[in-house]
Amino acid sequence: MSAALHVSDLTCGYGESVVIQDLSFDLAHGEILAVLGKNGMGKSTLLRTIMGFLRKQTGRVELNGRDISVAAPYRIARLGVGYVAQEKALFQDLTVEENIRLAVHGRSYAQALDAVKKVFPFLLERRSQRAGTLSGGEQKMLLMARTLATGARVMLVDEITEGLQPKMVARIGDAVRQAREVHGASFLVVEQHLGFALDVADRYLVIQNGEIILSGDCRESGASSQIAKYLSL
Amino acid sequence: MVAQFLDIITTAAFLYVVSSGLLLVFGVMKIINFAHGAMLTLGGYAALLCTKAGLNPWLGLPLAALIGGLAGILVERLAVRPLYARPLDAILATWGLGIVIGQLITLYFGRGVQFAEAPLTGTVNVLGESYSIYRLSVVAVAAALGGVLTLILRGTRLGLETRAVIMNEDLARGLGINSRLVRFLTFTLGSALAGIAGMLITPISSIDPNMGVPWLVNAFMLVLVSGHSLTTLVVSCLVLGGAQVLVSAYVNPILGGLTIAVLAAIILRIRPEGFARA
Amino acid sequence: MLENTETVTRPKARASGETWRALAPAIAIALVGAAVIGIGPYVLDSYSLSVLTRSLLYAAVALTVDLLWGYMGILTFGQSAFFAAGAYAAGLIFSHVGFSPATAPLALVGGVVVALVLAGIVGWLAFWHGATNLYASVITLVLPIVCTQLIFSGGNFTGSSSGLSGFESFDLSMEAWFWLSGSFLTAITAMAWLLVNSDAGRVLVAIRENEQRCQYLGIDTPRVKTLIFLLCAVIGAIAGYIFAGYAMVVSPELAGFVFGTELVIWTALGGRATLIGPVLGTLLVDYESAQLSGDYPFVWKLIIGSAFVLVIVAFPRGLLPLVSGAASRIGRHVLPGGTGERAVSVPRLLALPVSDAQGTEAGSGPALKVSGVRKSFGSLTVLDGIDFRAHAGELVSLVGPNGAGKTTLMRCIADGTERTSGEVVVNGHDLGRATPERCVALGVGRKFQTANVFDTLTVAECLRLARSRHERPSLWRRRDVLHLPEASLHVVRVTGLASRLGEEARLLSHGLKQALELAMVLALEPRVVLLDEPTAGLTKAERTQIGSILTDIVRTRGLCVLLVEHDLGFVREISSRVIVLHQGRILLDGSVDDVVSSELVASVYTGAVNLEHTA
Repeated sequence: MSAALHVSDLTCGYGESVVIQDLSFDLAHGEILAVLGKNGMGKSTLLRTIMGFLRKQTGRVELNGRDISVAAPYRIARLGVGYVAQEKALFQDLTVEENIRLAVHGRSYAQALDAVKKVFPFLLERRSQRAGTLSGGEQKMLLMARTLATGARVMLVDEITEGLQPKMVARIGDAVRQAREVHGASFLVVEQHLGFALDVADRYLVIQNGEIILSGDCRESGASSQIAKYLSL
Repeated sequence: MVAQFLDIITTAAFLYVVSSGLLLVFGVMKIINFAHGAMLTLGGYAALLCTKAGLNPWLGLPLAALIGGLAGILVERLAVRPLYARPLDAILATWGLGIVIGQLITLYFGRGVQFAEAPLTGTVNVLGESYSIYRLSVVAVAAALGGVLTLILRGTRLGLETRAVIMNEDLARGLGINSRLVRFLTFTLGSALAGIAGMLITPISSIDPNMGVPWLVNAFMLVLVSGHSLTTLVVSCLVLGGAQVLVSAYVNPILGGLTIAVLAAIILRIRPEGFARA
Repeated sequence: MLENTETVTRPKARASGETWRALAPAIAIALVGAAVIGIGPYVLDSYSLSVLTRSLLYAAVALTVDLLWGYMGILTFGQSAFFAAGAYAAGLIFSHVGFSPATAPLALVGGVVVALVLAGIVGWLAFWHGATNLYASVITLVLPIVCTQLIFSGGNFTGSSSGLSGFESFDLSMEAWFWLSGSFLTAITAMAWLLVNSDAGRVLVAIRENEQRCQYLGIDTPRVKTLIFLLCAVIGAIAGYIFAGYAMVVSPELAGFVFGTELVIWTALGGRATLIGPVLGTLLVDYESAQLSGDYPFVWKLIIGSAFVLVIVAFPRGLLPLVSGAASRIGRHVLPGGTGERAVSVPRLLALPVSDAQGTEAGSGPALKVSGVRKSFGSLTVLDGIDFRAHAGELVSLVGPNGAGKTTLMRCIADGTERTSGEVVVNGHDLGRATPERCVALGVGRKFQTANVFDTLTVAECLRLARSRHERPSLWRRRDVLHLPEASLHVVRVTGLASRLGEEARLLSHGLKQALELAMVLALEPRVVLLDEPTAGLTKAERTQIGSILTDIVRTRGLCVLLVEHDLGFVREISSRVIVLHQGRILLDGSVDDVVSSELVASVYTGAVNLEHTA
């Protein structure tokens, strides 16, 4: 059986500068994979490239065995990839409901709301509120809820815990696990928050200068200290 | 006083009709469609075709929308889509296509000034002033157009997607929205609106191959001071159109014709966002 | 490349080389132009001669469109207005006062003054800190419309819609007018050639390429744009004056938007940013229009319109580069201004004599004092009450997780218009609301997060741009020498940039681009240097090199460096002090050891601890 997401020999960057070099990894169905690394090491670029925003220079990306290397971002989204960007990921001037509705394609909106209700029911009570008026933590939960509402099977999540209080981080973690249990979704989680990443993920990759320099099982004892060494902390 | 008030309202209505299509295109695509003037002209000639065929002048409305929309499809494919990354060049290319359309009209209809039958003639008594029924009817048309556009933008899936593309195109694409299609549809709709506007202005403007150009510049300035909001456009049309009426009446009609352009330029110098978010 | 960086000069030999290299192509243009113009009347019939006289003057105006649009990126629809200013000055004075040896120069001066006033108004409206290119184009679009309407409203005085005709003018033969117009065009073209190929010409291209970087190199870009705009207005007015004298008729169309756009069309067809292209494009199209429009007036315009669209969409560089590209492939012969490689001369690097060349004296107080700086976007506060001081000889690292406000703080120091409130004082000078170029003059140098250089300029040109605040770039030649302050020269030497001075910056590796930008910033002779992740994406070796350069210049030159950095290991190696930002506030300000040993900081980084959320 093919992986949920299969990345092989991926090279990409901006213009003539290469940010990711010959990167290969698999994301299994229902797996949560954390991508770690210092800033500027190409983690966000990796997600943007998988999503089709950046042209791949070489390499291949497959979704459930289907080549999506040259597909447009909206096609990739509709094929079931949910993307949560690090910045400006919400339409601040649209309502909570509109934000969710925009992301839902090919399934009924009622189904989508149902998915939201399971994880963050408070959002439904505030569905006609402008997203920009939610607190920082609530906005992150809306981001999570919106991606779950789409029924996407592969989620690319870029530093969702940034600037969140521990309580919020825990709720996000619960939502991720629940999505895996209920929908069988797979996650590629780019994180700076080592604690969260190790807590929620099954496996981790550490990227440096566009290459994987370390990978392993998050449950292994000593994973944390080994990664921390590479992150120069 | 009453006549002047009605002049302001009706002038604003004409301006709104002429600029709303341009504003939609500017909002979604961030470019100014300089072929808008040529599409106004096409709308004017649609009215002329109706007159020549002896049809009811109101039939010019759907015909103008159709011709404008078709022209929009062509312009979008030929000039706008390839120049997405070069907005200043897109202005030039749409202007070039405007010239081409203008010359094709000239080749077919000749360069002379012609007139179409007005959909409504005569006057009506408003508070003791007799006033052109047609000008008043355009206020109703403008209000209806504004209402329909708002309904589309606020009440439909396409409208929601359009607003999303206006706010943040990349984010919309990441959520599965085909922004290229949204752009294409917006451009076509904006061009159809230009056609309608061209048909509507024929009773107050002659029909000739360059009839759209003076309207284009005013529409362009109104859009720039209005940002991306149809509501703000109403304000801009009333304020700047009102100023035009007053300057024409009390100073001199030629300077009146300059009022919108000059005032808008100065407003933008002082407040780059214009009337938006005022 | 030490042989490249001698400190003894041989000014005489060098000067003659520079002069010859600069003048040779211009002289060639002048000679070719003079020959063609001289022969013209002997081979052309009188109709062609009269049409071409007009075309030659139009071409001079198209040349100004090329300077503004092709070289500087300002798309202008309004150059017709300046042509009309010159033409109407002649028409009005000769009609109402009469033609005499006294009124003739008066009319010329009048036309030029009116054009300058118009251009000054446009410049004030269109070019200011933060104005967009679209807005500038809008203003140039309004200009001809206003001018046309003013002429219309002038009644008998301006002749309204029919214009002025039948006035007396210079009594010159048709040939003489042709020669006069042709000489004017040739002279203008040769001078424009000198300008755009000079060091100053590189400034114009740099503004087109990256206006923001120019401003952060202390170049007052609105001023440069306005000056060039004024110059172009004068050229337009003189052309218009000659036109009126020769045609003895002026009409409102000369001022119009349609003529203004035709100039753009001719420029685009000929080839923007080539000078020769727009001139040839204008001559060809205008001459052919006169020939063909009698028989096929509408079809001709249709063809031109279609060709214009095709060129803009498919060949944005215009036809001359296409033709000369083909020609050079066939005959290995490159037309001037063609697509061929620019002849690149590599200047010698010289160390600037150690003297305090900059306007800001080293004060006794802190090099940088930041008090109460706040930045908010609407209701979102990104920076909240930032206070700190940094002294000369200190290397202060600014660390903190993503979104802590580090880059925003950099921007708020280097651009006074960015701050919501608070005060920044550099060497005792309050920066107030100063624009970036003013901040540079007061001693602030900023390096951006992603390497921000001028892609199509050579390494040497990029460095010279950074020196333009101290050493006014030559208006007509490329200098053979490039004086750099020691710190900047040091970077250029040790990173190997010195051997690649003649290469375009876009060809450099990521690491060398970062080094080049650093050298450019240091060439500004700043007191306070703001570096935003100068080592992001660099290899280990490159990072070590940059680190040692930084510690070296801080120690030996007494600079104050503020560094945003994510790599705490790197920070530990080079910093004298560390400030930790978190959620828009200073969490800790202390020695390297304080910060490294701080549990709080480590936990902020791993995200295990978060402060009260303030967004």
